[in-house]
Amino acid sequence: MMQPDLIPALDPNPLPAPYWVFKLLLVVTFFLHIVAMNFMLGGAVLALVSKWRSGDRENGNRVFFDVARKLPSLLPATITLGIAPLLFVQVLYGQFFYTSSIIIAWPWFLVLVFLTLAYYGFYLASFQSGQHAGKAGGVMLSSVILIFLIGFVYSNNLTLSQSPSRWGGKYFADPAGWNLNLSEPTLIPRFLHFMVAAVAVGGLFLIFVALANWKRDREYARRVLQFGGKAFMYATIAQLVVGVVFLVSLPRDMRMLYMGDNSLATILLLVGVAGGIGAIFLMSDALRKENVRVAAFYVPGIIGVVILSMSVMRDILRDAYLKPYFHPEQFVVKTQWSVFPLFLVLFLAGVILWLVMLKRYGLFSGTKAADTLPSAGSQAAKRS
Amino acid sequence: MNYPAWDVAFGAGLLIALVAILHVFVSHFAVGGGLFLVLTEQKARRNNDLALLNWLKSHTRFFVLVTVVFGAVSGVGIWFTIGLIGPVATSNLIHAYVWGWAIEWVFFFIEITAALLYLYGWEKLDARLHEWYGWIYFIAAFASMVVINGIITFMLTPGNWVKNHQFWTGFFNPTSFPSLFLRFDIALALAGIYALITASVQKDAALKARIVRWSALWIVPSLAVLPALGWWYIRKIPAEVWASARGPMPTGTHYAVLAAVLLAVTFALALLTLVRPGRIPLAFSLLVALVALGAMGSFEFVREAIRKPYVIGNYLYANSLYATQMPGDGGFGVDEVNNAGILQTGKWINNRELTKDNQVTVGRDVFRVECQSCHTTNSYRGVKSYLKLRQWDQNKIQAMLGGLEFMHNGVMPPFAGTDSERNALAAFLGTIQPNPAGAAAVADGKTVFERNCVMCHQVSTADPFYTKLPKDPNAASEALKDLPSLFPLMPDLKLSDQERTALVQWMNTQRSAKGPGTATQGGN
Repeated sequence: MMQPDLIPALDPNPLPAPYWVFKLLLVVTFFLHIVAMNFMLGGAVLALVSKWRSGDRENGNRVFFDVARKLPSLLPATITLGIAPLLFVQVLYGQFFYTSSIIIAWPWFLVLVFLTLAYYGFYLASFQSGQHAGKAGGVMLSSVILIFLIGFVYSNNLTLSQSPSRWGGKYFADPAGWNLNLSEPTLIPRFLHFMVAAVAVGGLFLIFVALANWKRDREYARRVLQFGGKAFMYATIAQLVVGVVFLVSLPRDMRMLYMGDNSLATILLLVGVAGGIGAIFLMSDALRKENVRVAAFYVPGIIGVVILSMSVMRDILRDAYLKPYFHPEQFVVKTQWSVFPLFLVLFLAGVILWLVMLKRYGLFSGTKAADTLPSAGSQAAKRS
Repeated sequence: MNYPAWDVAFGAGLLIALVAILHVFVSHFAVGGGLFLVLTEQKARRNNDLALLNWLKSHTRFFVLVTVVFGAVSGVGIWFTIGLIGPVATSNLIHAYVWGWAIEWVFFFIEITAALLYLYGWEKLDARLHEWYGWIYFIAAFASMVVINGIITFMLTPGNWVKNHQFWTGFFNPTSFPSLFLRFDIALALAGIYALITASVQKDAALKARIVRWSALWIVPSLAVLPALGWWYIRKIPAEVWASARGPMPTGTHYAVLAAVLLAVTFALALLTLVRPGRIPLAFSLLVALVALGAMGSFEFVREAIRKPYVIGNYLYANSLYATQMPGDGGFGVDEVNNAGILQTGKWINNRELTKDNQVTVGRDVFRVECQSCHTTNSYRGVKSYLKLRQWDQNKIQAMLGGLEFMHNGVMPPFAGTDSERNALAAFLGTIQPNPAGAAAVADGKTVFERNCVMCHQVSTADPFYTKLPKDPNAASEALKDLPSLFPLMPDLKLSDQERTALVQWMNTQRSAKGPGTATQGGN
């Protein structure tokens, strides 16, 4: 049942820059947020796997703590990079986003509680060391579960935000906000699509850990490389299945967007699938040759392109869902020329300062490209 | 009514207050604490005080755990919460100030990165570089405070923004500077107050004494100048904004008194730490922090209270209706809703038809979309307690709803909607407090006054009550029979003969007791 009369009206303030500016900022900052989220969540999941899988216990624990100590930085990176798309989504899609949030108000509010607990959990786990390793695993598992729950609530909210036909029934059945969007057929595939991606990209994060240790402790770095690389490959293979399920679960006209109806969407899907498959083969080859350079630079480069295309595809999907209700022409645009350029200047200055801060801290040193030339890796491969 | 209203049983306003107060108590620490870290580091290095430096390392970890974790999440939490409870105001704030928020985000990004590098840099960096991160942190944190302060004060005193809708007009509004200085001063005091907490768990008494004395140097002078800054801030708030906080329902005044008292207690406790600075227990430092939290929370309550009936001054009412009709308001101006009706304008209304049988159900809907952003039925700001105090029946409620905007010096928005919708709301409210005592039981003029008049009138010879009514008791009682003919905005209350006589008698005794020109405020 269509209920277009439920769509809230905009407020009287004009859009303070052209529509495309916000669209660009939304997609780009969402991309950055999702990369940070993938490092954080995927890294945490793989740290637990490394700790609890049978075999080399000492190395497993070492990987665990190597990742655990970085999580208290990766989570705020995820949050901070998440604030920007949260802001820009409200600029363009507030009518839909606020409404769906209100309908599932309590789960949405609980995100804050889950996030606080998960955050302190990561700190607690990172503060443990050798003897208390067991406890640290349990704590981190709790944090990971909480973050999965947050992801699940997000999937509920964002699918509901693009399904206004479902709003009235849910809200009037329970205005107290104890709702989710469980009847949405794409909910589970979509959620899994994001979570499996996190594990794959978490594998790439481990490869960066390997890269950082490549010179200092080659033996350890090799193990981490193999573990991270394999995790990346298995998760990406799984993603091919999950992605197909997600595509199939979409309503026919949405699905057809990616299969010819919309040429950009179709090309992006091809880029995504080809990039994913290509990355699996490239990684497999890099692991065989122990070529950390390929694994740590080329594969993430390809996957970066893949995630960016996925981010654009996601945006195309949202606009397709909202087509009957959302019309970019509805916005009156009145660019705030007295502020918008100031933002651009400060943003640029901020990025430069941020890079200088990281550089002066020494985050870019220690992994000189020369140390990671393929020759070192291939010699090692020949020996083994 | 443009967006669905989230039914929070214990009160939506309380939830916002909870998230916001905890957040400001931490976010102000995030600003002042940043300066504290870097200045304390310089001091420790200058004096070659290794013990102090070691304490500062652990204090940095505490600082990060409090501000970067809880501060950041609760800051996002405010966005989540206001989006859930006040989506119209949030949408306005986003569209008018998105570039402000985006600039704030840039500062925030720098701030968080610098905080983490400062924390991890203790073991890794040389002194100068480490302090460089500390300074960057503080400057970024302060800059983000400047931005947020501009937007928060805009909500209270938008000034000419209401006319020209210009970004900077709203940003540099009448209270932005006093509020900025006030908040920064609070931030400096909080830096010392939080430092007491980590100082109090130190075992080395001499070190503890040094930290406590140093912390007191942050707290005492900051709190000493706070009243002056507060005075500046208050003076810049237009009289009509303060008006709603004064008078017969002085929520704002109550909280202002509470804030002042708790501030004085914090000041006294801070001085007390200097008596035996080496022996401050954790419980004492937590007490100081708790009292300061109370003072800070009360201050924010004052700001929220005096902003009523608006959420954005002179522009948007607390119940998400626009004060004046304007292009793009979606039909949600008060006058428009008066003409078209809630049931036809509102989007999230269950029953669009009002019949004889569904009055109470529709009234519940009206309550949800017009009142529930501030009130509950029987919890936080519960209307049940007001109705019980006043003993109004359905007819009286209906009459009184016509003048909500005049009650209590204008703390509430007007009722917007048609007469039949107002009747439906009255019918619903009548079910909340079903058995009012009734007129027959009342013989006391003071009670009659407090139940029927005190919302708008004061016991003062300057009040129209005295200037407009005839002095002769019989004539006065007769005149009170038809209130709207006395003054068109008066509600059409049907007081019994007995009530009118008692009221006039009591008013006259007050007149002689107080003498001409004396103004006292009626009880609550």
